[in-house]
Amino acid sequence: MGRRLGFFFWLAVAYLAVLAVAAVFADVLPIKDPADTFAGTSKQGPSLSHWFGNDGVGRDVFSRVIYGAQVSLVISTVGTVLALVIGGLLGMVSGYYSGRVDRWLTATLNASLVIPPLILFLALVLFLDSEAKRRIFILVFTFVLLSIAPIARVVRAATLSCANQDYVLAARTLGARDGRVLFREVLPNVAPSLVSYSLIIMAGLIVVEGAVAFLGLSVPPPTPTWGDMINKGRTNLDVAAHISLMPAIVMFVTVLALNFVGDRLQQYFEPREAVL
Amino acid sequence: MKQAVRDQLGRIVGVALAATVAWAWFWRPPFSWTFGVLVVVGTAGAAIADGRYALRRIASVIPVLVGVSFVVFALMASLPGDPAINILGPAATADQIAIVRTELGLDEPFFNRYGNWLGGVLTGDLGSSIVLREDIADGISRSMTPTLQIMAYSVVLALAFAIPLGIWAGYRQGSKTDATINNAMLGFLATPNFVLAVMLVLFLSIGGLSVAGNEIGFRVLPAARYVPLGEDVVLHFKHMLLPSLALAMGQAAVFMRLLRSDMIATLRLPFIDLARSKGLPTRRILWRHALRPSSFTLLTVVGLTVGLLIGGALIVEFIFTIPGVGAYIFLGVTQRDFIAVQGGVLVISTLYIVVLTMSDFLYLALDPRLRGREIGARG
Repeated sequence: MGRRLGFFFWLAVAYLAVLAVAAVFADVLPIKDPADTFAGTSKQGPSLSHWFGNDGVGRDVFSRVIYGAQVSLVISTVGTVLALVIGGLLGMVSGYYSGRVDRWLTATLNASLVIPPLILFLALVLFLDSEAKRRIFILVFTFVLLSIAPIARVVRAATLSCANQDYVLAARTLGARDGRVLFREVLPNVAPSLVSYSLIIMAGLIVVEGAVAFLGLSVPPPTPTWGDMINKGRTNLDVAAHISLMPAIVMFVTVLALNFVGDRLQQYFEPREAVL
Repeated sequence: MKQAVRDQLGRIVGVALAATVAWAWFWRPPFSWTFGVLVVVGTAGAAIADGRYALRRIASVIPVLVGVSFVVFALMASLPGDPAINILGPAATADQIAIVRTELGLDEPFFNRYGNWLGGVLTGDLGSSIVLREDIADGISRSMTPTLQIMAYSVVLALAFAIPLGIWAGYRQGSKTDATINNAMLGFLATPNFVLAVMLVLFLSIGGLSVAGNEIGFRVLPAARYVPLGEDVVLHFKHMLLPSLALAMGQAAVFMRLLRSDMIATLRLPFIDLARSKGLPTRRILWRHALRPSSFTLLTVVGLTVGLLIGGALIVEFIFTIPGVGAYIFLGVTQRDFIAVQGGVLVISTLYIVVLTMSDFLYLALDPRLRGREIGARG
């Protein structure tokens, strides 16, 4: 395999970049209004004027998929970054100060894993939700809560393995404070595995957001979301399968690309330890 | 005598588990009995293998269970609005409210209320649903059956895919076959279960896409509805196949990749060379010699994925209109039935914790190499 990233890696990166750019600049790009219903085009298949066809009420599926990407990408990115900061800090602290701190942190993090993600989310929607507008915050909050423990575990393991290395000892002998050792010596060595793992976490969050939207509990309509489009398209599955199929394919490719890039980076950084 | 039991522990525990499943299959005892027996078997196995470890593990599980119950209760108690008013409606008089509050025990201090509630929970009283007008414990145990069936079938299906593929990919590591299996599984890993479910319905039950008048797909399996096992066995499995498949493939990918990497490690060990030099056929070496020592991580992860399966089961129940626990909780959320959701979350989290502990215990009972050693923080 060697230390090359390969063609498909760059293809996946290019796809993700195009998707992100399209989502960010959706308002400026010459694509159709996702809320516009085009007369007489209900359930029409893909065509030159409507690339992904039209949905049950004649809206353009392509532009709805692009606008749907906004929700998926914003929620998963914000969730991952926040979880990365919190989980990364907790993991480093836990791995660096072994002993009581480590034991308590590990136990708490393990305990936070005992509630299945979707169930936790449903409970939070019910208990915290007074209006649907706030749901995006609940989503991000739950996603952060869900991703902290796995990230902290990975970081803890990586920290443990480098905390006993000579360069850390050297820094400490020179009188560096703990904070400095953590951020200047440990962090740069933990960062690669952290970055590749966070892409996989992000893919996972896109899936959970999709599932939540599928159940009709994500950002409420008229904002398009992939999960909601797939779910609504099910009523027309026998006559116009593309309404579900198109967002499903885009979602699949996005998740696949994120997983693949994460996987490849992990192999690139640590050729030996790339297991899962 | 005791030593003999310890030597054969893996086999004894395995037989006991199989016997329990068979008993549950034919006699259909209440779900809680089966579960209780499984817990007893697992705990006994672990206690025989390493009593101190088993004790310590149980001691560490209890605070987690208490913590979960406390969080679930605190969430309920922190709700805005007075439950008494919710029950009586806005037109209630102050006297009526006071009576209902006393009846519900709402005027007692927080920790007393928690104690009362926990006492009720331990004796199987989860309260009753205002919306559904039924006992919540009854509702949950009724909807538990379909959920557990889906979960069990999907784990079996996932293992049926993952074990042969994992063995083969590990054996032919680096070959084209290995790469193909790996990429296909990466694909399944990236398919959200609800997307897979919709695709399965599209291509296997409603005829698929029609391109230029030709159907690309089949109409062979039903797309929805739940048929109880006791009603019609064939129809039951026909209806359960698509939901279970939708859940299984993602798990199969995880299982396969794990088994593959453990297999690669095992195949490098000297006892494999020995088996080979004795002239044993490859298939026998792979299935009889290499599989068992390679499958212990897999076992833990099967336990860990139960949490994911519960979330997945919720979606799949929603799509295939199966009256399971996920559907029960989802209904509770959409109808703002707080007590039902509280009960559901509590039961599911408890189950999950117990299953996790059991998978650790089984790990200990089945793998002789671990006895008397620490296996605390693995995976």
